[in-house]
Amino acid sequence: MSATTAPMIRLEGLVKTRSQGGSVFELRVPSFEVGPGRMVAVIGESGCGKSTLLDIVALVMEPTGVERFEIAAGPAGLPADAAALWARGDEDALAALRREHFGYVLQTGGLLPFLSVRRNILLPAELGGGSVPGGRLEALAEGMGLAGCLDRMPSSLSIGQRQRAAILRALIHRPRLVLADEPTAAVDKGRARAIMDDMHRLAREESVAVVVVTHDTDLVLGRADAAYSFDLEHVSPHMTRSVCRPCPGGAP
Amino acid sequence: MTPAGPLRRIPFLAAAHLRHEWVLTLCLVTALAAVISPLLVLLGLKHGTIQTLRERLVEDPVFREIRPTQTREFAPAWFDDVASWPGTSFLTPTILPLSSVISVALPDGSALFDLIPTAPGDPLLLENGGTVPGEGEVVLTAEAARRAGVAAGGEIAARVTRSRGGRGEAVEARLRVAAVLDPRAGSLPRVYAPLPFVLDVEAYKEGYAAPARGWAGETPQPYPSYDGAVLLLPAPLQPIVRSGLAINTGFGRIAEIGPDRVRELTGLAPPEGFACYDLPAPGAPVTASSLRAVDQKLRGLSRVLLPYVRDMVLRAGDREMRPVGLSLDSSQAALLGLEPTPWPGFGGRLPEGGALVGCLWPAADGLAPGATVDVRAPGQAEVSFFLRVAGSIDLDRPVVPAELMGVLRTAAQRAVAFDRQAESFRMARGGYRGFRLYAASIDDVPGLYRRLKEQGVEVAAEVEAIERIRVLDHGLSRLFWLIATLGLFGGTGVLVASLYAAVERRRRDLGVLRLLGFARRHVFFFPMAQGLIISVLGLAAGFGGYAVLAGAIDRVFAMDLAPGEAFCTLPGAYVPLFCLSTLVLASLASLVAAWRATCIDPAEVIREQ
Repeated sequence: MSATTAPMIRLEGLVKTRSQGGSVFELRVPSFEVGPGRMVAVIGESGCGKSTLLDIVALVMEPTGVERFEIAAGPAGLPADAAALWARGDEDALAALRREHFGYVLQTGGLLPFLSVRRNILLPAELGGGSVPGGRLEALAEGMGLAGCLDRMPSSLSIGQRQRAAILRALIHRPRLVLADEPTAAVDKGRARAIMDDMHRLAREESVAVVVVTHDTDLVLGRADAAYSFDLEHVSPHMTRSVCRPCPGGAP
Repeated sequence: MTPAGPLRRIPFLAAAHLRHEWVLTLCLVTALAAVISPLLVLLGLKHGTIQTLRERLVEDPVFREIRPTQTREFAPAWFDDVASWPGTSFLTPTILPLSSVISVALPDGSALFDLIPTAPGDPLLLENGGTVPGEGEVVLTAEAARRAGVAAGGEIAARVTRSRGGRGEAVEARLRVAAVLDPRAGSLPRVYAPLPFVLDVEAYKEGYAAPARGWAGETPQPYPSYDGAVLLLPAPLQPIVRSGLAINTGFGRIAEIGPDRVRELTGLAPPEGFACYDLPAPGAPVTASSLRAVDQKLRGLSRVLLPYVRDMVLRAGDREMRPVGLSLDSSQAALLGLEPTPWPGFGGRLPEGGALVGCLWPAADGLAPGATVDVRAPGQAEVSFFLRVAGSIDLDRPVVPAELMGVLRTAAQRAVAFDRQAESFRMARGGYRGFRLYAASIDDVPGLYRRLKEQGVEVAAEVEAIERIRVLDHGLSRLFWLIATLGLFGGTGVLVASLYAAVERRRRDLGVLRLLGFARRHVFFFPMAQGLIISVLGLAAGFGGYAVLAGAIDRVFAMDLAPGEAFCTLPGAYVPLFCLSTLVLASLASLVAAWRATCIDPAEVIREQ
């Protein structure tokens, strides 16, 4: 990350506590930030809190406490205070931030089964009221190997194709931040590496901040610009604490 | 960004979802149509059946007619009043049933046809292929036209007959047949003519003239009536003669009175020594025959018999006057030592040529002879006339002909009108003996029927037939609403359950929508839009089903229906109302699912498989 470029997302002093069945899980994130054009990997085993962190960053889960939670959403890169929006319960503003600045790739793509691939990909752009420049969709689809799949329904695509369609949907409206939750969990190693390469390439080309959550360290090795991992601590038989820290050296 | 962006996408996404799950959508639409179609058919049957029955009644004006069942007199004001009642469509007076016949020349002789008055707007004529006849025209029923051998545009010769003084008289009128009614208007031979013609026929039959038609006869002059008479004689009556005057003469008794009483009753002062008697007739009017009877009994005696009317008040502007009646011929005047009155002495006939309205005016007012004074007298209908000053009198009350007082007294019981041209009084038509009344619609018949009954007017109408339809309508309405309520509960239940299930099935997709930037309030409308789309499709299918079923029902019952009639038909106004109700209900039914959609936490559902 360049020292002069403001981070797309900046989190400081985050605490999220979740209770389930008498046990308590506490996630602590002392500091987390992602800059434009960079791919940051969030690595950890199952249950370490990486999806929780991603949901908080995606503005669909409210943090229990946070000192600083800013998203560079303004036209001049002025940060929006997400912590204040949560405090106010301003759901419309949070939804607007997601709509305009975020792209999201789920484990299994998360395509809507009742829309064609084309309509799925274009949906974020339509929601924002903006238009997609002519040829952008086709060019991106060509680049991702989906040129012949646009008018098919998601159910007729392979898992890998769905994932790539989901990546396109996450990028079509030129978001500033793409969040990918285990985007390669359902594909084989070779396809996973290709997807990860695509994301890395698109992050560079589109100048997008990318957060990839994965448990596969090998997959992001050499591809991510920075990485975070988790230190798990069993505070008591009923309480587990996970602290998210940058990986030493900045990358896995 | 436009804030409405996500909201605008909701109907599209909802429709796409329904299209994707088209089998489930089809089931849902079919279920809804299965509720809507029978409801529409039921509503159509209820309305169509009632409408058909109603139209059968409405089409025939007979069912809107209210007929009097007794003959009594109805004043002109009564007609004005009833004509202004809400629901009254047509009202015309009729005449005595006995006078309501007219002799019509037939190819092989003549026959008596009913003569019925009509007037503009007569539904019996207008709704049975006829027109309202003008002056000199008539409309015939089909039977009358058949028997008279005429068609519309032809002419009939009508003959009005009467018997007067033991002598038969007749007049003829040639009348153009303006129209012949459909057989539905009645099977009797009837002639419908304008009211003035019918009234003239009635008057002619009663012996009066109809000058406008050149029919000779009497003028209906009012007869004078009195409260009593004053008898003046130079010598007192023998007791036996005196008693005899109160027997079979119409007078109740005889009493001796003083000069002051004579002056009060007649305006004259009797000569000294004259015997003065008062012959009152309490409770009954004194007529010319009573006076003649007394006169007969006094034959051979010098006497003057002067009829009087008590308490007659005339108004001239704001001024009230109490005139006295006095008619003296020269011999009577000579006997009393007075001047004769400027009008003839009291006789059997009313004075003519304006003499009836002559008067001697109080000298104190200084009115010159020839001056006229407009006055009004109370009566059945106020009589407005004028008095012409023929001289003055040294009295504070005007003196008028005794016959005028008699006429004015009669006017208290019978309508009397004054003809300013002829300067004479005639009996005005006091009222009519019946009426023809039609209600505006069959629904107005019961109300008018009850109102007339409350007035004591005995009438007949097809109230029972109308009431039967009302009861049927009421019963069917209750049945419809009962079934409709059950149907609506069923339809609403289907929608609530289906939309709720759809939300539960699509939790992950709705979570993804939230993740993509839809707020809670946006996804709230997703089930609502689906509910509305399904209800619109259900309505379309329901109306389609209704059209098929209604057509089948009408075909099955085609034998019992006239052209244009239908047993199952929906009025146009019901359609938007039904659609709107269904859409509102669908919106309400989707509220539970909409609420459920807002409760979806995207963080929880996006990782569900």
